[in-house]
Amino acid sequence: MKALTANRLTDGEVVFWNQGRWVERFADAELFAEAGPGETAEGHAKAQPTVVIEPYLIDLIEAGELWAPLSYRERLRALGPTNRLDHGKQVEGGDVVEALQHASGAARSTGRVNLIKRK
Amino acid sequence: MYVYDTLDKEFLADRASEFREQVGRRLSGEITEDQFKAIRLMNGLYLQLHAYMLRVAIPYGALDARQMRKLAEIARTYDKGYGHFTTRTNLQFHWIKLADAPDILDELASVDMHAIQTSGNCIRNVTADPFAGATAEEVDDPRVWAEAMRQWSSLHPEFSFLPRKFKIAVTASPKDRTAAKVHDIGLVMKRARDGTLGFEVIVGGGMGRTPYVGSTIREFLPAARLVSYLEAVLRVYNRHGRRDNIYKARIKILVAALGAEEFGRQVEAEWAQIGPESDLPDTELARIRSAFAPTAFETLPARSEAFEAAKAADKALARFARNNVKPHKKPGYAIVEVSLKAIGETPGDASADQMDVIADLAERYGQNDIRVTHEQNLVLPHVKLDDVPAVHAALAAAGIASANINLITDIIACPGLDYCALANARAIPIAQDIAEHFRDQDRAEDVGELKIKISGCINACGHHHVGHIGILGVDKKGEEFYQLSLGGSGAEDAAVGQILGPALPAHRVAEAVDTLVEVYLRERSAGERFLDTFRRTGAAPFKEAVYAGAH
Repeated sequence: MKALTANRLTDGEVVFWNQGRWVERFADAELFAEAGPGETAEGHAKAQPTVVIEPYLIDLIEAGELWAPLSYRERLRALGPTNRLDHGKQVEGGDVVEALQHASGAARSTGRVNLIKRK
Repeated sequence: MYVYDTLDKEFLADRASEFREQVGRRLSGEITEDQFKAIRLMNGLYLQLHAYMLRVAIPYGALDARQMRKLAEIARTYDKGYGHFTTRTNLQFHWIKLADAPDILDELASVDMHAIQTSGNCIRNVTADPFAGATAEEVDDPRVWAEAMRQWSSLHPEFSFLPRKFKIAVTASPKDRTAAKVHDIGLVMKRARDGTLGFEVIVGGGMGRTPYVGSTIREFLPAARLVSYLEAVLRVYNRHGRRDNIYKARIKILVAALGAEEFGRQVEAEWAQIGPESDLPDTELARIRSAFAPTAFETLPARSEAFEAAKAADKALARFARNNVKPHKKPGYAIVEVSLKAIGETPGDASADQMDVIADLAERYGQNDIRVTHEQNLVLPHVKLDDVPAVHAALAAAGIASANINLITDIIACPGLDYCALANARAIPIAQDIAEHFRDQDRAEDVGELKIKISGCINACGHHHVGHIGILGVDKKGEEFYQLSLGGSGAEDAAVGQILGPALPAHRVAEAVDTLVEVYLRERSAGERFLDTFRRTGAAPFKEAVYAGAH
């Protein structure tokens, strides 16, 4: 399972793709079970250079009954800094935030690594 | 303090206005991200994990109350009410919006501040002794030379696209508070027997992926010849630096490859060709020097009865005096270090309210002078001993009176993976864990000077290579691990630490530090710091204790 993420150009906010729109909460992200639709979405996202910066696909893992980014880095992006729980997206709380906080998957962010390799 | 003239002010206003136009062009799609990235970085604007980060230059770590208040105002208006002081003595705002950045640069320009040369392959903000102008140890005021270098290097066309970034430190005291020996160029001011001033020039130090302690290529450079000599060093670097490989592009790699002697020889040859025409005229140096003329110090007794009585009555003040109050060159005055390392807080962070308190104290008690240290603390360099109790009380009320300067809880930590797009692991929570572990101030004082420095990646913004205990966050298949190194120092006895053994998981780091401290307490001889004991015993007893039972 994958999701598509980027940073929004105007403010740097972490955003996720959902059916052609960018949403701020990972809980609202579109999940791609197949590679094809994810890559198609990535292609559309790259055609929006005045909306987002550097879109890339991230791998997800099951976290309880929900999905969470596999890499720790991506979970931090989806939550906010761990030294300030009053900052970032985690402030809103909720099931998905809690699932992300307790997810234990460990891997490099493959989407990010691919992005760096392409440069 | 150096005061910007009309030309400086107009330049900053123009630069901010230019950036506003460039941001507009990026937002409209007229220029691409690749084209814009170089422009935003030249103005200190990075894209980090959660938002843009703006790195504001604090030249040689010196600022006044008006500037500190402006930083507080920006923190409140455009960020989340705080700022992060860095090991480059700059200030980073971590939650900036691109669309706000032009307004912020305007705000900064209104108080003679900017974010120029806080990124990119140029000469970065010069580090100077935070005790400059206040300590009796110095042979001259290093700010004069730091300011001269700032003016010389700002937008210098020849040195704006170096092979890699370039960092210079200058100190005029034998006690080095600038980490001069691990800078690209470290300058240590000395006075010759005939009274003339000069610099020992140390080149090729650095941290990052390949740490080096710099080599002295000139024992004594007459002070007036500084600029031409720096030009010669940079020309040799610019000519031969490895532009083909980012990991080998810093001057330290060139100096190591050529050998310090050959590098020095090439510099001398280049310097001979440049001649003295490039040096600053005496009149210009005198003009700069006049900006740092000592403000009026009162004639006071060396001992303040009020301060002594207050210390006797207040244990917290006495502890603060032992650890944070340092001798001043003038009788009756003190240098007060303000720790930004309260237990449980983020090293180097200051809230907008705390910044305002510092500004008020500087104005009321400290001759309107504030310094930032590369150890992520602040300094009020000129406080009357009589006023130290009032300053301490105000700091305590603001939560910034931690009496822990140079102690085990005075930990350097980079922002790490909590914020930084380059990091592999978090640094801040490790610092918080260790600080919590050593919350007992009596124990921390018993342990004495112990510098822990933590970086979240090999780029070493947290100076882990030169920590008495250095901690480097590494990524092991996506999990955060921490590699310990011992015996480093960024001071006059500079050394790169030795890796102790296999990296540890996050939850074992504070416990391992505790073990290291116990070994030190067991092994130390009278008067030995942790570093001294380590240097005497070597790594063996420390390694044995930390990895006991690990096979």
